[in-house]
Amino acid sequence: MNYTALPGFVEQKESFGETTITIDAAHIRTACAYAREELGFEMLVDLVATDYLGWGSKGVSGYIATASGRDINFPSTQGLQTLPAVKPKRFSVSYHLLALRQPPVRVRLQCWLDDGDELPSVISVWPTADWHERETYDMLGITFDGHPHMRRLLMEDDWDGHPLRKDYPIGGEPVRFSDAE
Amino acid sequence: MRMLLCELNRIHSHLIFLGTAALELGAVSMFWYCFRERELIMDLYEMVTGQRMHTRYFQIGGLAEDIPEGFYPQCREFVEWMPHALNDYRTLLDRNKIWLERTKGVGLLSADDAIALGQTGPILRASGVDWDLRRDQPYLAYANVDFQVPVYPEGDVYARYRVRVDEMRESTRIVDQCLRRLERLKGQPWITDDRKVVLPPREELHTSMESLIHHFKIVTEGFRVPEGEVYVPIESPRGEQGCYLVSDGGPKPWRVHFRAPSFVALEATATCTHDALVADLIAIVGSLDAVMGDTDR
Amino acid sequence: MADEPKRLRDYGLQSERLLWPTKGPSHFEQEMSADELEHALGLTTLEKAVRWAQTKSMWPDTFGLACCAIEMMSIVSSRYDIARFGMEAFRSSPRQADLLIVSGRVAHKMAAPLRQIYDQMLEPKWVIAMGACASSGGMFNNYTILQGVDRIVPVDIYVPFCPPRPEALMEGIIRLHEAHQAGLPPAYERKQAAAG
Repeated sequence: MNYTALPGFVEQKESFGETTITIDAAHIRTACAYAREELGFEMLVDLVATDYLGWGSKGVSGYIATASGRDINFPSTQGLQTLPAVKPKRFSVSYHLLALRQPPVRVRLQCWLDDGDELPSVISVWPTADWHERETYDMLGITFDGHPHMRRLLMEDDWDGHPLRKDYPIGGEPVRFSDAE
Repeated sequence: MRMLLCELNRIHSHLIFLGTAALELGAVSMFWYCFRERELIMDLYEMVTGQRMHTRYFQIGGLAEDIPEGFYPQCREFVEWMPHALNDYRTLLDRNKIWLERTKGVGLLSADDAIALGQTGPILRASGVDWDLRRDQPYLAYANVDFQVPVYPEGDVYARYRVRVDEMRESTRIVDQCLRRLERLKGQPWITDDRKVVLPPREELHTSMESLIHHFKIVTEGFRVPEGEVYVPIESPRGEQGCYLVSDGGPKPWRVHFRAPSFVALEATATCTHDALVADLIAIVGSLDAVMGDTDR
Repeated sequence: MADEPKRLRDYGLQSERLLWPTKGPSHFEQEMSADELEHALGLTTLEKAVRWAQTKSMWPDTFGLACCAIEMMSIVSSRYDIARFGMEAFRSSPRQADLLIVSGRVAHKMAAPLRQIYDQMLEPKWVIAMGACASSGGMFNNYTILQGVDRIVPVDIYVPFCPPRPEALMEGIIRLHEAHQAGLPPAYERKQAAAG
């Protein structure tokens, strides 16, 4: 299918059998409306945001030597074999769309945000986005412009911070005899 | 085998729905009957995996253990018994005046609303949309078994109950077909021998250097997943259960997000309760089968 | 001692002689003076009778939180049948319940309602922490899960495992019954005594 007609189209990527389309963040609502009306994606299956703070900063390590060094003295290190591709901005918000037809078509619309950026809400296109957007706000602190009640959904109303951000402390208690102590 | 266990789990989930939803509407005996069959499924689970809930039997690459002796006859017994149990349920509820009054025409959700609200699974099918990922986007071996997808157009609580009961019947049929095929496959390996993802057998460690290295790498570090992002949906008992995974190329995922069907189902409560009585709220939330542990993940 | 309970004799009654005036003292009474016997029999059996009655109708509160709640439901079901111990009456109102089974992990958000429910229960009341998560936070060592429900309510019995089998929960309940019948006070009383 040709997706270049989507408003705010930036690029199209195929990986692992899935189509990812990057959309300019300002146009996401019109792009979703277009996908629903013209391309027949009736259902918004999921809306998920990811924080890429510190992406790729673990460095390369392990048993494969690369230009940026390796660490064979620490075998259980969680380092990477190769550095992952650089992400354009800190947050990604993915909209997983589904077309109810045979065979089913799935597509991921993705847009990129920096901390503090607002994203147009897609509630007017799919009412189901309501809770998804509130959850995203709750967990990652991404605000959606035009959402009628942008409140916390899962955490308490007076909670500090947004727990799924990578700079949020995991919390809990130190476990004895572990690395963390 | 994975499919068989998935279907057993589907029956189990629907049984709990039926038991508790009927309990909430005052039909206490349904609860006893449903939990009676649930215990049979739990027995099978325990036999295969060693635990009743929170089983860890599926593994990347196959199964953790071989199917134990005695599983086939016991499972066969269950498959033969289940249709009778389903008939019992239907005799108890189908002409039960209270049940009908409390469920018919209550909590209406039209097909358009259901789609717009992102509903999946039994709720969508009870609203008249013929959609099942097992059939439409087959995973595991669902393409190789024969089953029907029950669809009811009414979109009320009663239709959701009918869909789930019919699904239990279909799941029993799938389990039956799986059993037949598995019995023919007895003695075959139950897990892949790709040593990059699966631990080598214990006895190999003493004789083979490569096995030892693989064992060490998997235990201390895990295996590396290629960089990228995927979204994998399956048809869980409550609807589409999706898993969105971002990997940075290391052994630990960067971001995991589950699309929880209950989360979405609970969102539909507001639409369903339009023009309903407060007392019907119990029936409606019960019929959406929202599990809170799934909702808040 | 002002607090010592009055004996029947102090009221002018001669205990069993009332019923059988002609009966002389029994062997048992001769061995153990009549006063002591009265003291022992009258008081302890009454207390024990109350305890026995309490254990035989210890009504749990329906407080299902997570996966353990399903197993909590199954102890009521036909195979495990908690009615054998007089506990089938799960009460939705904390004011009618004696036993709070915390089944599952407690998020910080849930901690306040949990404590409120506990405070609303009438004494004597007991708490069972069911499963690893309720006992210690389990595998969730993070920002949102309370690391053990004993941080906010006094717990009588911890049932380990994840989730506990129904048999394990029943074992916990029976242990609780035994402890109560043996005269062990509920956890909140012990806590108060320890705090002074």
